[in-house]
Amino acid sequence: MARKTITTTKADKKKQRNSALSKTLNAKISKNMSKKKNLKSKNKGEREERRRRTGPRLPSAMRKELEHLNRGDSDSESEEFRKDDVYEYEEDAPEEESRKNRRYDSVENYEYELPEEFEDEDVPSDEGEDDGIRSDGSDDGQEGDRHTRMLEGITGLPGEAFEGKERKKFVASDFQGESSDGRISIHDLLDPLHGKPGYSSLRKRLTQLEKKPMTVQAPLPKVEREKLERKVAYEHSKKDMTQWEPLVKRNREAPTLYFGEDVNLGYSTVGAIAAEFEPRTEFEKKMALLVRDPEVVEAHKKDGARLLELNKISIEDQKDRQNQLAKMRSLLFRHEMKAKHIKKIKSKTYHRILKRERLKAPSAEVEMDLEAAKEIAMKQEFKRAEERMTLKHKNRSKWAKRILKRGLTVQDEGTRAAIAEQLNQHALLTRKMNSIKDTSSSDESSDDDDSADDELSPGMKKERALKLINKAKENTLKALEDGDELPKSGVFALPFMERGLKKRQVAIEEEARLALQEYDASLGQLETGDDVESPKSVKVSGRKVFGPPKDKPQQSSKRMESYNVGRSSDSEDDFVSSDHADDGQEVNNHSQELHLGAAFHDDSENAHQSLFNSFDDIVKEPGPKTTYEVAIFASDSWKKMKDENVVDDGNMKVVAVQNVEKLGQGGKSEEVDQDSGDDSEEKMVDGFLSSSSKHDNELLSQADLLHSAFAGDDVEAEFEKDKMEILDEENPEPEKPVLIPGWGQWTHIQQKKGLPSWMLKEHENAKRKRDEALQKRKDANLKHLIISEKIDKKAEKLLVKSLPFPYTSKEVYEQSIRMPIGPEYNPAITAGALTRPMIVKKAGVIIKPIQYEEVDAHEKPDQPKHIVHKSNTKPKAKKAKTGGGKHVKKAPVMRSS
Amino acid sequence: MTMNEEIMNSEKPVAENEQDIPDELDLKARKYLRGSGANLETLRDKKLKGQLALREKLHGQSAKAAAKAEKWLMPSEEGYLEPEGLEKTWMIKQESILHEVDIISSRKAFDMILPDLGPYNMEYTSSGRYMLVGGRKGHLAMIDMLSMELIKEFQVRETVRDVVFLQNEQFFAAAQKKYPYIYNRHGTEIHCLKEHGAALKLQFLDKHFLLVSVNKFAQLHYQDVSTGVMVANYRTGLGRTDVMRVNPHNAVIGLGHSGGKVTMWKPTSVKPLVTMLCHHGPVTAIAFHRGGQLMATAGMDRKIKLWDLRKFGVLHTYHGHARTLDFSQKGLLAIGNGSQIQVWKDSGNQEYESYMTHAMVKGYQIGKLSFRPYEDVLGIGHSMGISSILIPGSGEPNFDTFVANPYETTKQRREKEVHALLDKLQPETIMLEPSRIGTVRPPRKKEKPTKKEMEEEMEAAVEAAKSISFKKKTKGRNKPSKRTKKKEEEVFKAKRPFLEQQTEEKPYKKQRTAEEVELPKALQRFSRKKAS
Repeated sequence: MARKTITTTKADKKKQRNSALSKTLNAKISKNMSKKKNLKSKNKGEREERRRRTGPRLPSAMRKELEHLNRGDSDSESEEFRKDDVYEYEEDAPEEESRKNRRYDSVENYEYELPEEFEDEDVPSDEGEDDGIRSDGSDDGQEGDRHTRMLEGITGLPGEAFEGKERKKFVASDFQGESSDGRISIHDLLDPLHGKPGYSSLRKRLTQLEKKPMTVQAPLPKVEREKLERKVAYEHSKKDMTQWEPLVKRNREAPTLYFGEDVNLGYSTVGAIAAEFEPRTEFEKKMALLVRDPEVVEAHKKDGARLLELNKISIEDQKDRQNQLAKMRSLLFRHEMKAKHIKKIKSKTYHRILKRERLKAPSAEVEMDLEAAKEIAMKQEFKRAEERMTLKHKNRSKWAKRILKRGLTVQDEGTRAAIAEQLNQHALLTRKMNSIKDTSSSDESSDDDDSADDELSPGMKKERALKLINKAKENTLKALEDGDELPKSGVFALPFMERGLKKRQVAIEEEARLALQEYDASLGQLETGDDVESPKSVKVSGRKVFGPPKDKPQQSSKRMESYNVGRSSDSEDDFVSSDHADDGQEVNNHSQELHLGAAFHDDSENAHQSLFNSFDDIVKEPGPKTTYEVAIFASDSWKKMKDENVVDDGNMKVVAVQNVEKLGQGGKSEEVDQDSGDDSEEKMVDGFLSSSSKHDNELLSQADLLHSAFAGDDVEAEFEKDKMEILDEENPEPEKPVLIPGWGQWTHIQQKKGLPSWMLKEHENAKRKRDEALQKRKDANLKHLIISEKIDKKAEKLLVKSLPFPYTSKEVYEQSIRMPIGPEYNPAITAGALTRPMIVKKAGVIIKPIQYEEVDAHEKPDQPKHIVHKSNTKPKAKKAKTGGGKHVKKAPVMRSS
Repeated sequence: MTMNEEIMNSEKPVAENEQDIPDELDLKARKYLRGSGANLETLRDKKLKGQLALREKLHGQSAKAAAKAEKWLMPSEEGYLEPEGLEKTWMIKQESILHEVDIISSRKAFDMILPDLGPYNMEYTSSGRYMLVGGRKGHLAMIDMLSMELIKEFQVRETVRDVVFLQNEQFFAAAQKKYPYIYNRHGTEIHCLKEHGAALKLQFLDKHFLLVSVNKFAQLHYQDVSTGVMVANYRTGLGRTDVMRVNPHNAVIGLGHSGGKVTMWKPTSVKPLVTMLCHHGPVTAIAFHRGGQLMATAGMDRKIKLWDLRKFGVLHTYHGHARTLDFSQKGLLAIGNGSQIQVWKDSGNQEYESYMTHAMVKGYQIGKLSFRPYEDVLGIGHSMGISSILIPGSGEPNFDTFVANPYETTKQRREKEVHALLDKLQPETIMLEPSRIGTVRPPRKKEKPTKKEMEEEMEAAVEAAKSISFKKKTKGRNKPSKRTKKKEEEVFKAKRPFLEQQTEEKPYKKQRTAEEVELPKALQRFSRKKAS
């Protein structure tokens, strides 16, 4: 456009160009230059340039100068080579600079080849895109455009600023070589036309033009232009996108999406994958060579026996092994022989000694360490359980039965001892360990004991009784001696307590002496051979016994207790015909028993349990017989203590418990009271039969009767009171405002004023709050009702804390879960549909990007959709792979968002 | 049940034209829809709307399918006595009914006179096939009611107060003199439940496998019979009672007390859920309707009341004594008093009126009435044995074998037991409104913030305090030290309320005295000083 007006000399042009370029983009220019130069020529200048790039940089002024000098050389030099040269790219642009200018599409530049007939003359011509003088194609134009853009980018000036320069440059280059003088104006061009017709008019127009230049619309500012471009692009892409809409909508609305059902996933087993394995590394190859060795494979296939042949074992090893084995064998054999020999030895004494040793060894061990003790305890426990299960020592063997059948009295001493030993063994084995918890099954074992006792021979009994009494005597004496010890701490340490204790002790001693006398008497009795007495005493009660024998002593004691009541309390007694109180002697016994029992529990009060301890020991020692002997001494004072299976758990506790029992007969009477209910029930049964019209079949106690008689009187008020209590518990009534005594009561004025207003206000507020809370209750308006407002924390977990995500209203959510979805409540068609997941996909199937397909927009949405991956599009799939994870992710996004 | 048509209208009126059928189906389907769906128009979330609409559609389909199944697979309907002219249903005697019904049905009515072992209690299995009989004086027997065979009979020689079947006929529990016991069908004692004490009444919650007992001391025990765990043990504190019934709808236990109160219990709450003052005298009997909304109570105040359990209000009050009450599957109410039995029927609007009456031999005291499930039979346990009478229309005519099968085979029974165990409900699912499970928890009044929340709050407060910028003060007061001090103060101020709260929460720890004082205070001065 304005170029025509500009005329420059070559020198000018050169200068301008150099200055402009060197100023702005010295390096860039050089790159451009170098690009356009034939690089094969490897001229000196270029080398220099390269060197310069790599080396330290000169100051800009110097560089300018240098360039100015070089320019001429290079230009003139290069001109010689320009013809017939192919432009090839060699990477010589400094990287930092190419990176600075991102606008450069470096890739294209690399690939770019200039046509062969390209001349250096045209170098600047690529900038002149405006006037169509361009010698080469659009590529040059593009390049020029890019160039200006680059300049813009660097300098920040608008493109026009450079355009002028470029133009100038262009003009200069255009006339390069043709005219070297002055500047050419349009007037110069017009000059030859001078004198021709129409010249004047032309000239006029020209001057006119010059005066008032024609305006070409300025290009839109960049921002605007880009906006417009974007708008168009948006419209375009919108159109593109809308065609996807129905497809996406369909996928979104479908209740279930099936992905790639028909895709063959290939291997599914580890074996199949392993079969595909190919050795790659050296090691793997070696392994494979060995594994796939035909010999080995063959051996494997046959039976594997040949594999052994393939093993290499040294003879020495084998020999060693054999030797060792032989040694072991011989050792074993010897041991066996020894055991056999020992077993064959018939000497009982030897065996006994052996056994004792065996038994002793662990006991020694027990003392040594805890572990062994535990083990032994376990062993004993096991033995006990075994014994309880098998009852091996309970006279059940043929031998024992035979002997018992024949009668023990007939037997010789040894046999009797053996039987006794066996029973003792049984008792020992079945005896409860202290460690075992006291379970409900205790009575069973005692049952066993008792029944075992019954089978004892009377002779033995007598012996035992003698021993027992002797021991008791000893113990009593010991206790008497020991009894003098006084407690040194606690309440008993007080002087007056001590005194009291001493007094008591004296009394006890006396009693003990009495007991001793009694022992002696009974000893004498026994010795006189009052054998008949023992069976008699057993039978003495003379009543039918239905229950197990252990009940007997219990019942007798119970009976004694219930004499006053006059009627047996236990309903079990319904089955036990009770014709008591006919045996005077027994009553006597009982009275004695009562007396002595009382004496004893006095003792127990005094914490003189050492005596009991000793008794306990006695009871423990002779094993099963003791309980029986209890029966022998019908008149004995400590019968009671023993009668409840003390044998089983011979510890202090039982004694204490029994004492308590004795003391707490009040409790028994209570029980009687309880049980009377049952009796009355039975009476009521009779009542039914006699058709009395009663409704309650339970006779209530006096208080209950009264209560029920006046039940209707005040039920409502009571209920109201209860309700108020519960309400107060939940919302306590605010306390009445009270001042601390003395506070605020100094003067009359203060007293008159009364309570401060804030107090009253607070009180009122609290009251109102309470009323509100009460009003909110469900049972606020129902007088006859209390509904618990307590929150059940355990049931809380069955409720949801907050509304689940898509729901916004509670009602909708609760309505949506009102129907069960299980197969029990729904037919097969709906049950499946109700519980099907949103996406059904086989494991391992890759979800591919969504593919376009025609979709009917008005399709019903509630059918599950099958999304089929086209397997034929292999290249596509490859593309997707190269595209990275972006595409893969896209598909689910499309659906779920 | 096929009964004589003269008496019962077991035949349904045949649909006259084709249009009636869909109407009927719609009606039935509505029942299976369990209420209407939510109004989806108000929803703004389109996606949710679409999902719910689809769900509703599916629900509609299944309801329709269920209605169809009901129509075609459950054809028989209960039939009641229909009087002709001036006749009244309650005037019809058992003899005349027995005369009219078929032989099989007539066999179902019987009298078993067992005078020796006391008044009898009885109980049916949920399928109605087996009957358990417990005599007060220790007589236990199980009878197969289908073949009328005695399966097992034995004596425990103890008072037997109550008997109850466990999950099926294989096990049953008997409340005996001291403890309840569990026996199997061969009469072998399996367990002795000592923890229950002397139970007066037993109930079994079959969905939860819980055996519930109330003992002499008015303690309520819940024991899981599948694991043996004692789930709960509560003192009712309202006096001895033997009036206990389970609400079949929600498995809540109802207890009737001597103060006229009825309390409702669940295993996870120490206090009763509901306490109602029902009568002015002791409550003698309770019964729950199968739907769970209706309760009948009888008291010594000569009143029988029907209660609506949704609003806990009285529906109707009738005069009369009742020793025992029972609702049938179809909602008939049996009332036993003395030797008289009355059966009431709902005449619409839950207004019950007399439907049938029956008088036992004079002198027989009725102890327990129990309708036999899936049969039109009412079992009676009385002082002289057990009897049963026919009450047309009392039982559900169609049984669902998934629920209860009277003709169950051994394999089916086993299968069902396994299923029942797998589907066992936890005790905490027992609540007044079981439909509330899964719904949104109502907001608590004053929920304490958790520790984490508190910490977060404190941190936020501290951050806020730190970011406060102070005004530039005059020369002397703008020293950096003063500024930092001020800042620190601000932070501390922000922290303080939280710290105070924490200290408040900490429970006051009781300080233990180092040495236990052996002597009472007053006597301590007399004690001897230890010579050191």
